[in-house]
Amino acid sequence: MSEQKKLSNKELKELKKKEKAARRAAQKEVDGKPPGENPNAPAPSGGDKPQQQQQQQKQKSKKQVSAPSTTQIKKSINKPVKASTVESKVPSAFSHLSTREQRTAKLPLNLLNIIHPKILELSGLCANYSIVGSIARCKAMLEVFKIVIMDYQTPENSMFSRSLTAYLSHQIDYLKNSRPLSVTMGNAIRWMKQEISVLPIDMAELDAKKEMAEKIDIYIKEKIEYTDKMIIKFASTHITENSTILTFGHSKVLEELFLHCYNEQNKKNITIIIIDSRPLFEGKTLLKNLIAKGLKNCKYYVITALSNVLEEIKIDYVFLGAHSMLSNGRLYSRVGTALISMMSYKRDIPILVCCESIKFSERIQLDSVTQNELGDYNNLMDFFTDSPKKKNFALESFIKQKQLESKPSKQQQTQKQKNTQSQKDQNFKLEIPGGDSDESPLKKDISNISNLKILNIMYDLTPAHYINKIITELGALPPSSVPVIIREYKTN
Amino acid sequence: MSAINAAKDKDLHILMDTFISKLKRKQIHGSYNVAIETAQLLVKVVSLTKWTSLEQLISSISLIGKRLVDAQPRAYTCGNVVRRVLALIRDELEDEEKTKGSTTESSNVGSSMFNLLTPAKTDAQNKNKSGINDQRAVIIQSIRDLVDEIRNVDQEIEGMLDDLVHDNETLLTPTPSSQTVLRFLKRARQKRKFKVMVTECFPNDTAVAHNFAKQLAEANIETIIVPDTSVFAVMAGVSKVIVGTRCVFANGGSVTESGVSTVVECAREHRTPVFAVTGLYKLSPCYPFNRESLIEFGNSGKVVKFQENTLVENAETANPLYDYVPPENIDIFITNVGGISPNFIYRIVLDNYKQEDIDL
Repeated sequence: MSEQKKLSNKELKELKKKEKAARRAAQKEVDGKPPGENPNAPAPSGGDKPQQQQQQQKQKSKKQVSAPSTTQIKKSINKPVKASTVESKVPSAFSHLSTREQRTAKLPLNLLNIIHPKILELSGLCANYSIVGSIARCKAMLEVFKIVIMDYQTPENSMFSRSLTAYLSHQIDYLKNSRPLSVTMGNAIRWMKQEISVLPIDMAELDAKKEMAEKIDIYIKEKIEYTDKMIIKFASTHITENSTILTFGHSKVLEELFLHCYNEQNKKNITIIIIDSRPLFEGKTLLKNLIAKGLKNCKYYVITALSNVLEEIKIDYVFLGAHSMLSNGRLYSRVGTALISMMSYKRDIPILVCCESIKFSERIQLDSVTQNELGDYNNLMDFFTDSPKKKNFALESFIKQKQLESKPSKQQQTQKQKNTQSQKDQNFKLEIPGGDSDESPLKKDISNISNLKILNIMYDLTPAHYINKIITELGALPPSSVPVIIREYKTN
Repeated sequence: MSAINAAKDKDLHILMDTFISKLKRKQIHGSYNVAIETAQLLVKVVSLTKWTSLEQLISSISLIGKRLVDAQPRAYTCGNVVRRVLALIRDELEDEEKTKGSTTESSNVGSSMFNLLTPAKTDAQNKNKSGINDQRAVIIQSIRDLVDEIRNVDQEIEGMLDDLVHDNETLLTPTPSSQTVLRFLKRARQKRKFKVMVTECFPNDTAVAHNFAKQLAEANIETIIVPDTSVFAVMAGVSKVIVGTRCVFANGGSVTESGVSTVVECAREHRTPVFAVTGLYKLSPCYPFNRESLIEFGNSGKVVKFQENTLVENAETANPLYDYVPPENIDIFITNVGGISPNFIYRIVLDNYKQEDIDL
């Protein structure tokens, strides 16, 4: 980096304008396709890339935010983003939802230079589902923001609180790229911005930072940790000595609830039935955690076995976690929750949702299609991966370009590869298509089959009438009372 | 003469044993294959066994049927085909008795206690050899007709697609392993343009489902692979659900792949019509009184891998292969003899089976 300067607000604005122009230019080229191989292009934080960038950042200067030189910006504008010819695999009804490629393409090109390394890291962890679950993500985000705020240095001629808000918005924009923000994250961010805005103007910068860090700590304690304790206290009254409980996926608060009942309340005969699903297998994590803490009666099934499970086992309660409770009383949670609720409702099994009030959202939604999150369809190509690996689009396209550049030599190599592959194929001829292989038969040629789409959504919407009770830290309520909570408590 | 019979008996034993072990090892699988193989086995049985009267043949075939059903009680079509063949023989017997009825009135009593008192030999002695050979030929021919019927099921179902699928609709199928469904959809594409959603059927049929989707896509049908969890989310956009079945019981309940029950219940909740495609040979005269006995369980290593030994040791799991779908969740069964409401299945069953054969 030849020039290094701190960003003033004016410069930031200018930067933004340029970015917009760049984005438009890029968008024309890309229109929903993966980003090209621009070395400046924001790398979607898969395993190793962010680390590289982190190092770069560290080299630049740890606390100083550096703006790219104008020439660099021009370069990045002029470099066309390669549009790949690969057709989208998203079903047309869901095409309004953005894929990660699209989000990456939309990202301002030079945003990366002002992103805090911790944010890069978090974004990577979220993207490959290492941190999963709305509360876990929210908590991780707040912890990172604490560091980001402490590391932040106010540019000259600007006010700490104002410039910090703007700076944080950039960080959040980048974070959104990995996965859309959860409702909890949105609520926490809104709260944080509010808190920053009310910081006294004359407060010393360091004091202000410390106060913010303290406030964030308190927020995490109040809104998440103590909240969970309250929820567990309320919910554990439902679980008796010989209860059989069915749950879906992995909810942190439910895990704590079951452990609390088993270890502290000494209800040693509780049976936990975990229903799980592809591709994330979150239920397996719950199962592992419960077994590690000594729970004896755990049962684990996949969702296709649901009807048989409900037929054969008498279940007392269904406990569900939530991503969000919407203002029209519907439960927005991991995809599959609606099916579980429907089946249980029809068999007269009470359905309880454990949900912190931080998850309450003013949004309303009537079906699972209008608002949702798209996962990568490639995650569905392997049948058993516990944690699907996130692809690094920028890296991939970079490799592709390199391959194109050195085509003649590569051709020979690919031929060689083909030869070895055909040999391999011969070796594995015994493998029956559709047999016990852990890999989809489509894995290799999925992109060549034009009529084939794959749906991989993350959430679905459970109708309010399936749900008997929502347990929050404020007490238990029916789904119809969700707007009451939002109205009474959000304004304070 | 007796030496030839002994040799024939030995052949028969070998045939039976190999067939039974194939059934047990699931080397013959899929209701269609089981049905065809069973019918062909019965052709051999009819031609190889020594019998002097139709009653004798009936008892020996029902004995064989019992052995087969005991060997693999959930290869439902096997039992069905045996019962169909028994019904054919009984029809033949009735005809015989009718013609005889003019001479002796007593035989009208049919298969009652009276038969126990009259020695069967007198009948046999009355008959000349050519009579038996004629009957043998007639019975073999009617079993062959049955095989033809089973083979042509798909074609006859395809004839009804005009009434079932319209342009621009979205179908969802939770049974990608059904060849009948695959052929039906491919055939329907020649007349209509529609989308198909395919559920993945994890853990048993996921690869099959992906292959199924590929085949549909190659047949120029817009196909969407839908994970089993997302069914509720997409159901609102589905106009019809098409289901393949393994077996349909007299009450209209059916046995299909695991996971289907949830899907059709979801369809019922959304008021989405569900139609099942099935052949007449899959109709069973039995009633599904004991639901647990209907379901077969498979390799639970597909649910929790055996490598994850702490989980395997400490948690219980199961991998049901089938699902029972109650009659109220299916709107209509599309068979080779037309559309049949689940409530009406029992009547069709009465037409094709004889009451005496329900318990083999």
